[in-house]
Amino acid sequence: MISFAIYALTIIAIWSVMAISLNIQFGMTGLVNFGQILPFAIGAYAVGIGIEAGIPWWAGILAGLVAAPLVGLLVILPARRQSQDYWALITLGAGELFRLTMLNVPSIAGGADGVTISRLGDRNLALGLAVGLLVVAYLVGQRISRGPLGRMLRVIREDEVLAATLGRNPMAYRMKVTVVTWAMAAAAGILFGYVVGYIAPTSFLVTDTFLVWTAVILGGPGRNIGVVIGAAILILLSVSTRFMAEWSGLPSDLVANLRLAVFGLVLVLMFLFRPQGLFPETREVRDVDGR
Amino acid sequence: MLTVAEVSVAFGGFQALKDASLTVGAGEIVGLVGPNGSGKSTLLNVIAGVHVPKSGRVELDGRPLPLGSIAGVAARGLGRTFQVPRLAQRLTVFDNMMAGAGNQPGERLFDLFLRPGTVAEAEKANEARAVAILKRLDLLHKANGIAGALSGGQQKLLTMGVLLMADPKILLLDEPAAGVNPVLIDQQVAFLKLLRDEGRSILIVEHNMEMISSVCDRVYVLDAGSMIATGTPAEIRANDDVIRSYLGQPA
Repeated sequence: MISFAIYALTIIAIWSVMAISLNIQFGMTGLVNFGQILPFAIGAYAVGIGIEAGIPWWAGILAGLVAAPLVGLLVILPARRQSQDYWALITLGAGELFRLTMLNVPSIAGGADGVTISRLGDRNLALGLAVGLLVVAYLVGQRISRGPLGRMLRVIREDEVLAATLGRNPMAYRMKVTVVTWAMAAAAGILFGYVVGYIAPTSFLVTDTFLVWTAVILGGPGRNIGVVIGAAILILLSVSTRFMAEWSGLPSDLVANLRLAVFGLVLVLMFLFRPQGLFPETREVRDVDGR
Repeated sequence: MLTVAEVSVAFGGFQALKDASLTVGAGEIVGLVGPNGSGKSTLLNVIAGVHVPKSGRVELDGRPLPLGSIAGVAARGLGRTFQVPRLAQRLTVFDNMMAGAGNQPGERLFDLFLRPGTVAEAEKANEARAVAILKRLDLLHKANGIAGALSGGQQKLLTMGVLLMADPKILLLDEPAAGVNPVLIDQQVAFLKLLRDEGRSILIVEHNMEMISSVCDRVYVLDAGSMIATGTPAEIRANDDVIRSYLGQPA
């Protein structure tokens, strides 16, 4: 039970990093990234491919951290003059393109069989690393959110013509956000690879992007602590399906799929009754009276 | 300071502007009037980098403005407002003001994470300016409320305040008095004169002739895409062509 708790906390920390990454993109900047799983997959695959190619472990990690932001810039470039509907389609397509390539070209990373990574044997170390990464991601997210950059990102989210009228190039800010958040998601993917010890196309589905989106919508778009709590709730729900299957006597496949239905229900209910999330975005109150 | 020379714009077969020219000198308030559909907003949008004209020149301080680049024009020191005020509705009045300031180190990743001192210093300086401007606009008591909760007239005042944070050389105002109550219009007029006295130039598109008369040094009249008259507000009011096409009543 203790080992399961440690594993669950590790996974929660990893997906919380993903949620913070998406929160900076969507919650603060209004970017509809339906390919959030792509930088995660790139990070994980960089490690896997690195091991297959026999390069040192740190080189694989570095490759993942560098490749993801570069791919991110490449993906968003065609969308630079398009509205967020197109942005959503392009990112969704890019994520699937990567996954299907990995699935159908076995010479890159084992195709459907995937790649085995020497996983972190020490579970406590894995948890420590995951929590460490989460703390770093949270601090980065908070620094952006509460600083001048976050303020301008929110202006772009509210009205990009206004941002341009104020002399800012919205695309330049979207590129900044993409570089930071895709590197963040790649770091989560790298750690995921080392924790799970096995990388295959089935680990990087559209439904995983959907999980991160649900975490952000549930927790509160624009609020870092909110999306972390959102991710924790959903992951707990997710990993407890095995207990639910035992408890209810239903087949575990069915319960696992019901989980997706529950996520969908959470999304619908949030949109209907609490679009600002459980923990709404805060506004800085300044002491300007009496000046 | 601002020179618009023989600008023509066509939307499909519709000729929105025909060789329209105007100038705005340093420290001058210039009005642009004309009936609906005469091309006032189109001309404003050409200057502000929204539309690219078919022909003609637009220069600020003797150098051409980057046509078709809203951000590029703004970076040259030109601030504009819109008929319907554009604000970050869900952000506070104060954050809207802060966003108006240009060249902020805290918006660059390097400075944000590695030079917190520089960022804090810039924030402090901008905060002091924002407080001073909000005071002048009588909006300081609304500083912590969201911009979307302000009245229409207050939103128009706030957009001017946001622009001022960028310290523009010239302001383009699109119908600042439309839908604003008379008390706030008086406040706007006083504020615009203050800005002129600071050496800023202003170009106003407006239907409210009373406002035009009370603040403008010179007025241009557009009709069907062409400039048909220019002069002091008094001259324009006495001009027969203008009366026929725009004011719509015999003198």
